[in-house]
This record gives sequence, C-alpha cells and structure tokens, in this order.
Amino acid sequence: MIPIRTLAEVVALSAEGASSYRLTLRIDGWPGFEPGQFAMLSPGPQGAAPRSDPLLPRPMAVYREQRAKGAAEIEILFKRHGRGTALLAACSPGDRVAVVGPLGRGFELPAGRALLVAGGTGIASVYELAARLHARAPGSARVLLGARSAGDLMGVADFETLGAPLEIATEDGSLGTKGLVTALLEVALARDAEAAVFACGPTAMMRRCAEIAEARGAACSASLENPMACGFGVCLGCAAPLRAGGFALVCRDGPVFDARAVAWEGLP
Amino acid sequence: MSATNARGGEICADVDLQVELAGIPLRNPVLTASGTFGYGTEFAPFLDLRRIGGFVAKSLTLEPRRGNPPPRIAEAPSGMLNAISLENVGVDAFVREKLPALPEGVVVIASIFETEIDRYAEVAKRLSGVSRVAGLELNASCPHVKSGGIEFGQNPAVLATLVRAVRRATTAPLLVKLSPNVTDIREMARVCEGEGADGLSLINSVQALEVDVERRRPVLSNVLGGLSGPAIRPIALRMVWQARSAVKLPICGMGGIASAEDAIKFLLCGATAVQVGTQNYLEPSAAGAVVDGIRAYCARHGVRRVADLVGALETKRP
Repeated sequence: MIPIRTLAEVVALSAEGASSYRLTLRIDGWPGFEPGQFAMLSPGPQGAAPRSDPLLPRPMAVYREQRAKGAAEIEILFKRHGRGTALLAACSPGDRVAVVGPLGRGFELPAGRALLVAGGTGIASVYELAARLHARAPGSARVLLGARSAGDLMGVADFETLGAPLEIATEDGSLGTKGLVTALLEVALARDAEAAVFACGPTAMMRRCAEIAEARGAACSASLENPMACGFGVCLGCAAPLRAGGFALVCRDGPVFDARAVAWEGLP
Repeated sequence: MSATNARGGEICADVDLQVELAGIPLRNPVLTASGTFGYGTEFAPFLDLRRIGGFVAKSLTLEPRRGNPPPRIAEAPSGMLNAISLENVGVDAFVREKLPALPEGVVVIASIFETEIDRYAEVAKRLSGVSRVAGLELNASCPHVKSGGIEFGQNPAVLATLVRAVRRATTAPLLVKLSPNVTDIREMARVCEGEGADGLSLINSVQALEVDVERRRPVLSNVLGGLSGPAIRPIALRMVWQARSAVKLPICGMGGIASAEDAIKFLLCGATAVQVGTQNYLEPSAAGAVVDGIRAYCARHGVRRVADLVGALETKRP
C-alpha cells in the first residue's frame, strides 16, 4: 500500500469508554490498510501557516475503515495524555487533520489459530486483525483485552458485535477477570499451544507475552510503540534494539516484530 | 494585459527560479537538509524530487555506522531535539546502492561526516568523480576526539585544517555546513573562505538538553541533542545575515523553514538557496510547496528572477 499525505476531514469525535476518544476521519484517496499499520496525525490548522507547536505528528494505529468510491472513513481510538492528543481530543466535525499513512509493516496473518492480546490503547491495533481472521474462519481468533479499569477499555462493543471469542481482564476487577491480561494468555495458551500470539500494549505487557509464548514454543508477534517524528524511515528516531545487536526502526521495519528478535530490556 | 502589485511592480507570470550555488546549477533554490531526507527514495510517495532544486543526503562515513540507543528524539517548543549519532549506510553502499535508485535529473549533494580529518578526506575522495554527486557538504559539527570532543566547527584552527584537507581531496563543489554553537559565526565563515570552500551551509542544529522531571533524567540517551525546527529560525536568519556580511561565499540557509515565507526570509538575509529540514518529517511534500510559494511570491511582487531577492533585506530606516 503506497502511503499518502493529505488533509483529512473530521467526521465525528466521540467519547470511548471513560477516558478515551473515537475519531472518525474522511480521507480522499485513502488506499486502504493492513492490520497493524498506523498513520501520523497532526491536528490543524493546516495550509498556509502550519502548526509549529506542538510540532510533531502523533503515530496512531488505524482501528478500522469503511471505504466507498475513492473516499474512505477511518477510525482512530486514542487516549488523551499529552499536548498532541489534547489537540486531537478538541477537534470538531469539519476540522482538518493532516494524515500521512498507511505506514509500517503490520501483522502477518497466521495460517492457523490466533490469540490476540491487547492492553489499554494497544486494543486499537488488533481490531482489524481480529475482524479479518474471524471473517476467514469464525472462531479461529480468540481476543484477550486488558486495562486498568473497565472505563479504560476501548472498542469492547465492536469486538462483541464481531462475535470472535472474547475475554476481558481488568486490574481492579471492574469488568471480567480481576488481574492482568497476561494471566488470561497463560491459561489460553495452556489450552491451545498451537495458536500464534499477537500482542500490543504497554512494553511490560508485551515482554511478558513474549516470555509466555517462548516458554510454550508458540510464535509471538508484538506491535511496538516508540516516539517518532516522521513515520517513514528518515528521522531514525524510533530505533528499537534487537537481540542480534543493532537497531530496527519501529516505523519502517515494524511496528510489528517477531517478539524473539526484540531486545526488550533495551526499550525505553 | 498586465496588472501591478502594491509596490507598483508588474506582476509577471514567468519567474526565473534558477540559481547557482557554489558552482552547482539548481532549477530552483529549494533543497532539503541532510538527515531529514534519508537517501531521497523514502520520499517517492509524497514528492517528485525533480520539482525541487535538489537534496542533501544523510551524512556519510567511511564505514556503515549504527546510531545511539533510544530515546533518540524529544519534542521541544516549536521544535525537536535529536541525537541519532552517525547512523548511515557508509559511503560505498551509498554510491553502489542508493544513488542508482534515484530518478535521473535529481540533483544530489552528498554530506560527509567523520571523527578524524584523514577519514573526512577519504570519504570526500571516494565521492569525487561520482557522476550523480553534484557537490559535497562538509558537516563540521562532529565532535573531534583529539580536541577533547568539541566540534570541528567550534575551533577556527581545527576547522581550517579540516577544510584544507577536504579541499585537497576533491575538486567537487564544496559547501561547509557550519555549527551554530560558536561565539562568532563570521570568524568561522572567513576560515572556510580562506581555505578554498565554495560555499557555506548554515545553520546546523543548536546544541540543547531536555529533561524528564518525573524521572529526573535527560530525555535523550545521549543527554545532549541538536535542536531543530521553527524554534531556531530567527537564530539561523541572524547567522546567515552575519556570515553574508563577512564573506563573499554563497550561502545555503536553513533552520526551521516550514513555508515559502520562511524560505524568502533566508533569501532576503543573503542566502542564495535554502534547505527545508525538520518540516520534511511532518509534511513530506513541504519542499515542493515551498517552491510553489516562492514562485507565487515573486509573481505577486514583480520579481522576475528569484536571484534578485538574495541579500535584498533593507536595513536602512526609511
């Protein structure tokens, strides 16, 4: 998919759970995306006087899309935690958001069954993967979602509508099993050691997923997050250390990596 | 039919955007800055490289090099800090693999960066006579180990030795990219002129530090980084203007250019051409928009040749 750079139009912005947002953007010429790919977003004003502060766009997973004749609507789920996401959260319908995307190498669809493990905002990266796997073979993908509290989850209703097997864990027990989502993975993988693991979430969560999968001899793909300025391999800011030595770029070589290739202790 | 603008000049449809920078003919004065434009091909989805004057490739060392561990970048008010270090494919792979991947008609300036003077000269030698390389940009902001880690471009005597050595190693057009981290940029500009440089590029990023107060640690793994983006633009304009007053060498101006208006400020202050840098990250088609905007400005102001804007800043009180 060849990425584009364009000004998208905000169609809708709504609350998602207690602490997140769902942004719907209309993009002319959007080429589509693969599960796990992302886009760089800079909220307006754009054009003659581009925004200089905050300067950098924010990498965001593409949650899902609806396409119709040349134009498409994409959805982005995000939490507000800094100046860039605060600007996105302040958007109104009709506002412009500069978009560069789709970017990066997403998830490779497994031949057999899959366990999708996502925590917090990482949930936004795995919906499309779940949808494609479920469409190909209903029931072949089991989704495990985790967050601190029920209000911190996102997209739960969409996963329920999808109909893929779904389990939830919250640290405070306000929804689903009390505890970490990685505990759900241990149980699920013990039941089905043939399944491939796909993880996205906080670094500590993904590292634990990688350990659990490695102990069971299961394949594990993890979608990393790192600060980046460009998203297409030129700023070299998003380096992730590799077990074999050296670095890979999260934006160009990832964001999805074979978890065994990542030197987890070297991630910031 | 002819119209007139506010200052009575005729608005002309055809604007001559061509300039010559240090002996390199350019179709327009807009280049992109080293380290912000990869090896050019990364921008193919966003910008036809033949629309811009040319680009300066990522700085090259003799051997391929890995960069610093993360975090390598940090956001700052209207700017960003980076400490990537020397990460690049090395001069030989650049000539063998990167240059042939570029379309014909793209002007490429190679940037060179090393830790020792003889190594700088060797990189320059390997790029000399390579037909796709229109000129060299000598990045003088590398820490010089033998001088205790200060940048080559911070000590006039060290800078003179470096420029002399590279000048001997190549007959290609040679721009020296100066460090802004100096007391008097005019002194460094004169050193380059005296040692036979063909032009100056200024400014490089400004040495800076950003702090994470929660962790009480520097944000960057390298502690220090280079500040770039709109935050440094007025500093860059000042240095271009000062260097212009000190030497006859043509100047390629850069530092926080995000729009045609920003680029024109550099031309007025004495830059023959400009480089778009950090803006390429957030707006990968930015340099093309700057070309279009300069053309529109010239048409609106009745400027037939963009070269007529160079150094046209009026500082006398009316």
